[in-house]
Amino acid sequence: MKKHLLTLALCCVTSLSFANEEVKLEKIQVDTSNPAVKRGVEAFMDSCHSCHTLKYIKYQDLVGLGFDKAKVKEWQGDWTLDAPVMGMMPDDGAMAAFGKLPPELSLMARARDGGNNYLYSYLMAYYTGADGVTGNHVFPASKMPDPLGISSATEPAQRAEIAAKAKDIVSFLNWAADPHELERYKLGTYILGYLFVLTSLLFVMKKRIWARLN
Amino acid sequence: MSNKVMQWIDRRFPLTSFVQHDLSEYPTPRNLSYWWNFGSLAGIVLVLQVLTGIFLAMHYKADVNMSFASIQHIMRDVNYGWLLRYMHSTGASAFFLVIFIHMARTLYYGSYRAPRELLWWTGQGLLLLLMGTAFMGYLLPWGQMSFWGATVITNLFRATPFIGDQVVVWLRGDYTVGDETLTRFFALHYLLPFVIIGGVMIHLIALHMVKSSNPSGIDLADKDNIPFHPYFTIKDLYGLGVFLMVYFGFALFFPNLLIEPANNIPANPMQTPNHIVPEWYFLPFYAILRSVPNMVGGVVAMGLSVILFAFMPLLDRSKIPGGALYRPIFRVQFYLFIIDMLILGYIGYVPPTDQTIVIGQIASIAYFCSFFVVPFISTAEEKWLRKRGLPKQVEALIASEELQKAQKKTGGK
Repeated sequence: MKKHLLTLALCCVTSLSFANEEVKLEKIQVDTSNPAVKRGVEAFMDSCHSCHTLKYIKYQDLVGLGFDKAKVKEWQGDWTLDAPVMGMMPDDGAMAAFGKLPPELSLMARARDGGNNYLYSYLMAYYTGADGVTGNHVFPASKMPDPLGISSATEPAQRAEIAAKAKDIVSFLNWAADPHELERYKLGTYILGYLFVLTSLLFVMKKRIWARLN
Repeated sequence: MSNKVMQWIDRRFPLTSFVQHDLSEYPTPRNLSYWWNFGSLAGIVLVLQVLTGIFLAMHYKADVNMSFASIQHIMRDVNYGWLLRYMHSTGASAFFLVIFIHMARTLYYGSYRAPRELLWWTGQGLLLLLMGTAFMGYLLPWGQMSFWGATVITNLFRATPFIGDQVVVWLRGDYTVGDETLTRFFALHYLLPFVIIGGVMIHLIALHMVKSSNPSGIDLADKDNIPFHPYFTIKDLYGLGVFLMVYFGFALFFPNLLIEPANNIPANPMQTPNHIVPEWYFLPFYAILRSVPNMVGGVVAMGLSVILFAFMPLLDRSKIPGGALYRPIFRVQFYLFIIDMLILGYIGYVPPTDQTIVIGQIASIAYFCSFFVVPFISTAEEKWLRKRGLPKQVEALIASEELQKAQKKTGGK
């Protein structure tokens, strides 16, 4: 029976690792620290905000991350602080340029198989083919032009810089998808600590009460 | 004073006798293992789901244009909304895990056998209600997998003879899964848990009539029974502590493990996801559905695969007590069945290829066979075991069981 419980648990866990990954994604450790997320905001505003929207993130949330209001004002333009972070490209312009709307990014870090690893690998997967046309290994049908310039970067130092920027963007998008993640871990540690003590006491009590039977 | 209050109440409501009969003095076999904890755990998960669900419903909007955003509102803006939602989504998986273990324990120890058939059947009814509730709840976030899962499953009702198409429209309230479907699924997702609570009451009344089974698989004489309180209240509480650690471990550290990435994309009726998968707890049954090439056949097979458990009391002819404990062949059969379920679960998860379809068909046939062979194997096994000579303790158990039966008969007259 013990084996049975284990296999059931394993079933839940292993069934997740069968996601169909045709392209091997690069695994990254997401930096969830506030400085990394803030660097990610700046990189996002530089490289993504011109087209992409963050529907569920408000400019106010960026202030909450620790940016001063003057800095946020630069990004928010005429929008108010409680407006969502809308992309700067009008829809008809996007349709004319790409034939489709750039996807909304607030949940992108959770909306693809591979999550953060997918995002990072995708941003880094641009290459220039023999014919001079830019392609993407991870998502060949992508309409997005290489946003960070990795396809034309040849210098190792430059490539490292772009990789760092891509990681920062992923840090920010990871935060945007789940802003309460760190709070959740903190609460989780307290709850598990509390439950561990409580359960240990209950175990001792159980032993004592059952000892009466003998 | 409190004595007087109790007297006043007891003259009007059987409070003291109820507490004595069903709690403080409720006789429980002392040899129950920790596998017997999962019944009360299921009850507690039900309470957790209802409580978190009620608070989620206060912030959720059942409208195709608003439901996805309202979940994001809960996750981001509502105080501890993320905690409620992750507890609820993890709770659904926890519920099925607990129920599957509860059922596996019943199968392993033969707890479904006389006189506990009604207990087992009310449990079967609860399983169906739980599946319905979970299925409808999964539509509410209005993500891609919500929408397409509901579309695929409601579409199965086309298999109904003569009026299939009408039944599908009647279920959805529209020609496709849409706003009408969402609002009715929300209404039912809120209603069914209370029906489940009622069903649990019936399940418990049946339990308290026949009392708990135990690893020896017979009614124990009075000397082997101990009062539920304090022995099993503390044992259940300790088990609950362990369970809550696992539950909160998942809910707070890996809450997205069991949420399909595609469900973080709002439902889009114009775009089918690459690969539609149900939640993990439906996978074995989904694999059986897909294994039958004909749709009507698939639906019948899937329905049967869930219902078949109810026939176990009729299929199992063995009189050897203790379920799998003293029945080596039944035990092997049990483990093979669990392995078969895991294979089916895997097959239900992966996109179908020629190879997985064949494996799925073999596993589905094995699934049904493992039920249909039970009457023959159980009688043959009993004959073989008796011929070989049962262990002394088992002989003693059978003798005491028969003695008790005889006593009950004469006592009744």
